[in-house]
Amino acid sequence: MIRHTQKWLGWLAGLMISTSSVAAVETFEIEGLITPASPEALTTELESQLGVKVVNLDLKNTLTGWPLLSVEFDDSQVSSDDIKAAIAKIEDPAGHNYKVHEGPMLIRAPYLEEETMAIAKFGPDAPAVEAVSNPLEGNAESVSRGKALYDRNCTTCHGLSGNGQGPAAHGIGTYPRELYVWNNAPASADGYLYWFITNGRNEMPPWGLILSENERWDLINYIKTMTKPE
Amino acid sequence: MADIKPPRMRIGRKIKKDHTFKVKVRFEHPSFTGLGQVDTESDPPFNRAIPVTYLRNMLVYYGDELVNRFNMTSAIADNPLFTFTLKAVKEEPVKVVFVNNEGQRWEVSKKVKFSG
Repeated sequence: MIRHTQKWLGWLAGLMISTSSVAAVETFEIEGLITPASPEALTTELESQLGVKVVNLDLKNTLTGWPLLSVEFDDSQVSSDDIKAAIAKIEDPAGHNYKVHEGPMLIRAPYLEEETMAIAKFGPDAPAVEAVSNPLEGNAESVSRGKALYDRNCTTCHGLSGNGQGPAAHGIGTYPRELYVWNNAPASADGYLYWFITNGRNEMPPWGLILSENERWDLINYIKTMTKPE
Repeated sequence: MADIKPPRMRIGRKIKKDHTFKVKVRFEHPSFTGLGQVDTESDPPFNRAIPVTYLRNMLVYYGDELVNRFNMTSAIADNPLFTFTLKAVKEEPVKVVFVNNEGQRWEVSKKVKFSG
């Protein structure tokens, strides 16, 4: 009798082992982790909703670039699709829902035919802008020449003090710039100023057609000495 | 992804032959780098968060001729407004074509008519 009972219990134990749950671990690529509060919001909500265990959340240096969420779950209770559906319903503190990323990421689709033709015509990159340097930097005579040029050509709009309030400024759609902001500007700003003076902008004419190259540098040297009026 | 509306174009009303005219093109298209900042302590602090989306090319045609190409990156603004000038040499349409990083294409065109 005892032997029979032991045999029966052994069979029952074997049955329980064969039908018991198996813990599965699956990894998901997650979209929507944007703020520092996102990881905790996702993991705590997922664990409380489905009773699963988040084993790891790898945010960086993953093969695909997407954060990887490893979840351990009882596959007799919860399926992979249940987890994906639950993740899609969880709201991030930033106000959007998370999503399990599917398929390859299309960062850059192949070029269309007309794009390829345009690249062949104009080149892959914009032409490099020629770097210019101020040949008269720190020259006192240049500054005095620049003042004379400024008084003659620029005061009408930019004002005597460079405050952008010359007599003609009120009739101009775009208000003239306050030039004293360039006071003691570094040499790296000279090329920028030179380009604007040469080519003009909005109502300002392209002074490259009127003033010589040295005259434009004289102007820049003077503009860099202007100070904000009291 | 936010709604994408067709691009819109405006050109000057008074266009004289051999003078320049201004073209303005507005396109309501989102732009995301796709990066998030979850772990601020590490370097670099960014992780991939959402799919990247941006306009990568704007092609400008005047008549049948391709006259310019604007090459862009994910640093471009949402709903960008482009302004550029062309020289009015012929009474033919100006067409602007946009292509985004997923290879989707949009176009808008307007005919140039000389006013005098």
